[in-house]
Amino acid sequence: MSTYRAGSRWIRADLRARRGQAVLTVLAVAGIVAALITAATLLEDGTNPWRGLFDQTNGAHLWIHTKDRPLTAALGGIDGVTEVAGPYRSAPVTVTRDGRKSPAALRAMPVTLPQVAHPVVTEGGWLTPAQPDGVVVERSFARELGLTLGSPVTATALSGSRHVLYVRGLADSAEQGFYPEWPPGLVWVLPEKLNQVEPKFARSEWVTGLRLADPEATQFAAQRVVVMLEEEVQRVFTWREVRAAMELDNRLLGTLLALFGVVGMVAAALALANAAGGRVLGQLRDLATLKSMGFTRRQIAGLLLVEHGALGLLGIGLGLLAGWLILTLVLGTPSVAPVPLLATTAGTSLVVLVAVGLPAWRGGRTPPIPAAPASPPRGRLSRLARLAFLVRLPPALVLGTRDAFTRRVPAMLTLVGLAVPMMMITIALGFWTTLDNFLAHPEQVGQHAQLTVRPGKLPADAAERIVGDDRDVVRVFPGAEVNALVPGQARSIRVRALGGSATPYPFPVVEGRMYADTGEAVAGQGLLDLLKVRIGDRVWLTVGGTPLIVRIVGRTVEPDLDGEVLSLGLDSLAAKDAVPPQFYGLELREGADPAAVRGRLLASSGEELEVRRAVNPAERLVIIRVIIVALVTVLALIGLANLLTASALGLRDHALDLAVLKAMGLTPRQVMATLVTGTGLLVVLGVVAGTAAGASVVTGLIDLQGHTSGVGAGIGRPPSPLTLGTAMVIAIGAALAVALIPARRAARARVPVTAR
Amino acid sequence: MSAVLKTVNLVKIYSGGAVPVPAVRGVDLEVGEGEFVAVMGPSGSGKSTLVHMLGGLDARTSGEIWLDGRRVDTLSESAWALLRRRKIGFVFQFFNLVATMTVADNVELPALLAGASAKDARERREYLLGVLNLTERADAAPGQLSGGEQQRVALARALANKPSLLLADEPTGNLDSRNTRDVLRLLGEVHRDGQTIVMVTHDARVGSLADRVVSLLDGQIVDDGRITRRRPSARAGAGEVIDLR
Repeated sequence: MSTYRAGSRWIRADLRARRGQAVLTVLAVAGIVAALITAATLLEDGTNPWRGLFDQTNGAHLWIHTKDRPLTAALGGIDGVTEVAGPYRSAPVTVTRDGRKSPAALRAMPVTLPQVAHPVVTEGGWLTPAQPDGVVVERSFARELGLTLGSPVTATALSGSRHVLYVRGLADSAEQGFYPEWPPGLVWVLPEKLNQVEPKFARSEWVTGLRLADPEATQFAAQRVVVMLEEEVQRVFTWREVRAAMELDNRLLGTLLALFGVVGMVAAALALANAAGGRVLGQLRDLATLKSMGFTRRQIAGLLLVEHGALGLLGIGLGLLAGWLILTLVLGTPSVAPVPLLATTAGTSLVVLVAVGLPAWRGGRTPPIPAAPASPPRGRLSRLARLAFLVRLPPALVLGTRDAFTRRVPAMLTLVGLAVPMMMITIALGFWTTLDNFLAHPEQVGQHAQLTVRPGKLPADAAERIVGDDRDVVRVFPGAEVNALVPGQARSIRVRALGGSATPYPFPVVEGRMYADTGEAVAGQGLLDLLKVRIGDRVWLTVGGTPLIVRIVGRTVEPDLDGEVLSLGLDSLAAKDAVPPQFYGLELREGADPAAVRGRLLASSGEELEVRRAVNPAERLVIIRVIIVALVTVLALIGLANLLTASALGLRDHALDLAVLKAMGLTPRQVMATLVTGTGLLVVLGVVAGTAAGASVVTGLIDLQGHTSGVGAGIGRPPSPLTLGTAMVIAIGAALAVALIPARRAARARVPVTAR
Repeated sequence: MSAVLKTVNLVKIYSGGAVPVPAVRGVDLEVGEGEFVAVMGPSGSGKSTLVHMLGGLDARTSGEIWLDGRRVDTLSESAWALLRRRKIGFVFQFFNLVATMTVADNVELPALLAGASAKDARERREYLLGVLNLTERADAAPGQLSGGEQQRVALARALANKPSLLLADEPTGNLDSRNTRDVLRLLGEVHRDGQTIVMVTHDARVGSLADRVVSLLDGQIVDDGRITRRRPSARAGAGEVIDLR
């Protein structure tokens, strides 16, 4: 109790004396913890909306699309299947809204919601016979199209017949991923209405959902279904794919934040240890005085641990708050999962306590005789200083060089403490450059064609003629996208045919070669991983019952659908799927404005063509830039905290020397230069080492991220030498400016009369 | 007169370097209650080491130290710390005030540490600063004070817990003559109130203020003489003009 009162006085006084540094420490730790919390929550399953939606809708684990109505009893009889949803009839339509046409699936559902995989109405009401033209639209689809309750929806069936429907309700579903990542959009209608819109059963398919007792047995059940239904099966997908589709960006952001958070925590721990250690070194005499007054060794250590640990813990508290705010306000996460939150809090607290525990223990061991000098080891020039002498540098530089390494441990802590943030900043710049590269060279991420045109109601040759006639269109690639079933995997993948085999669309092939013949294809990393094949292997697929056998000859950078896309020439597909082409990819003249071309094409076709701009992945990932700016700020804070410690320690160590140096005849400017060189040398070394380390790993790191996310290696771009140079100059310049202020004050101060 | 402090054959040998250096070589010293002892000697005679050992700041190599009739040289470092809180006050040459704390906080710290309530500590501090004529400097930072003022604050801090023994290590070593006079006057006043003091100094003028001067040379007591103080009295005649105070 008594120590508590005396100790709290001392801690308060000490914190008051170094307010700036304390605030810096708190902010740096808070920033890192906020990043970690956000990362952990994003990576944890809990934030994936799929989990909640699946539970709410009592979802099905396995979805099967078939040509004809399957036998429910047979499917229900498969081992492990507990319940069957559907089968529901589903017909493809095109929804037109404000001139934009979007693909949609019109799904027939009864008035009474089923037990399994029932959509959850979030707004309005469910289908009712009282309003036969009322539809319920899946929420993400409605949001994308700007549909609200009561909005009219124009649906065009494959036959070309138009039907005006009205939005009666909006609903959530765990059946498929969100629109537009997972087309077509879902629209539920009453079966009678569907029969009216699409009377031909041949133009529709049947969708059946299976709920399983054990979600892990999905693969097995899928195999059984494929074997049982054989030719009937059009598409099969499982809850895993739906989940993956929903978490798409969360995963990337989470990984990014986790990377920066973990390394940043190491840097923050170093900064904390350095700050606490530096402070302890600067206070040895005060600590000795406290001991002479009757503080025990343990009490001193406890005092220091409480003081420095409290700063770190305060930072963690603020970080938790900030992380929670980011998650709920910015990312709109409904709930923050408790496990990663607790784990992060406990982990960071432990790191903080260990980081300050060591200097605190060291402080407790201070001998109690205050007069004992706590001067740095001296009497020897460092190797670097001798080198500086040899090349006849000015004396201030030589002395500064000597000072830089007199205390080895703090010098190393400062060096590493600056190098780690600088390394992360370099990596962050690499991410930035990669995004810039996406934008500057969309062809490197498979977006050579900036516009995609669907003929709509126009005949294919008319559409082809219109787009070919435009002055800004250089080349037109006819294309088609179909879903192919992988028999061995019992699931569907996307097959994208674009251009002919002989005149291939310039997919960004980064490994192997481009396909040059029919029967050859290139694939994204995600597909190679999924099928467990390598370049040179043959794959067997079925497209709507027709076998498709291709040899994979290369790997492309594939930003769509987790890289699970097979790309090939249109002539490799069976004619029924390829003729007429579903769409045309347009290569535009260099410098042409896609928006202007789109306008012209719409005008010349009488609004019949459906023209879409390619969405660059960098545009979708624009939030990464926000994250990068925030992280660079936090890292700069950490670097600054380290710098202040180094500078304060340097000044303290040389308080005595200053008098001697002045007596020897050094001008105040030379004294200042000595002090600045002492810290500046560490700064330069740290920044250069950090930048070099960052630059050497950045490409590999981004490619690794690309590999795991399915996009594949080959997207990483290191920051340009100019960017790196600028970053280094800014870092070193800012550091020297910060070191200059106290050095200037010390150099101008009168020579101290009393000893330390 | 009971002995507040007693040492028996106290030895300190520094064995850090290649050759062991004996700093204190068998000191037997007894200090009675209310006594003011000056330990004098040239540089390196071991007087600072002796006073550090008496306060437990430095461990003895052999010998015994008794404080208030209790053997203390066998105490652990933290037991010494607990002992210092109540029984020993230190004044150092370089004042050693905690730079980040105000004068008031510096003086209150030992009282708080010894378990006094905030109110008691404040009252004791107000009393001490009042006696030492520092009341108006209570909220100043130590750096804003002159050397003499700082040493007076250090003295107030040492006296905060009414220690049985006040140890002063060259308390005037860093002060000009005027401040030296001020600090010595205060020490004399404290002594008159019954405070036991052991003061290390190499300045004969300062030493002459004490009741008793112990001379140390090469770690051994070479002289231990009581100064017969000529009290200024009614009988005082010529030749009694010189008075350091």
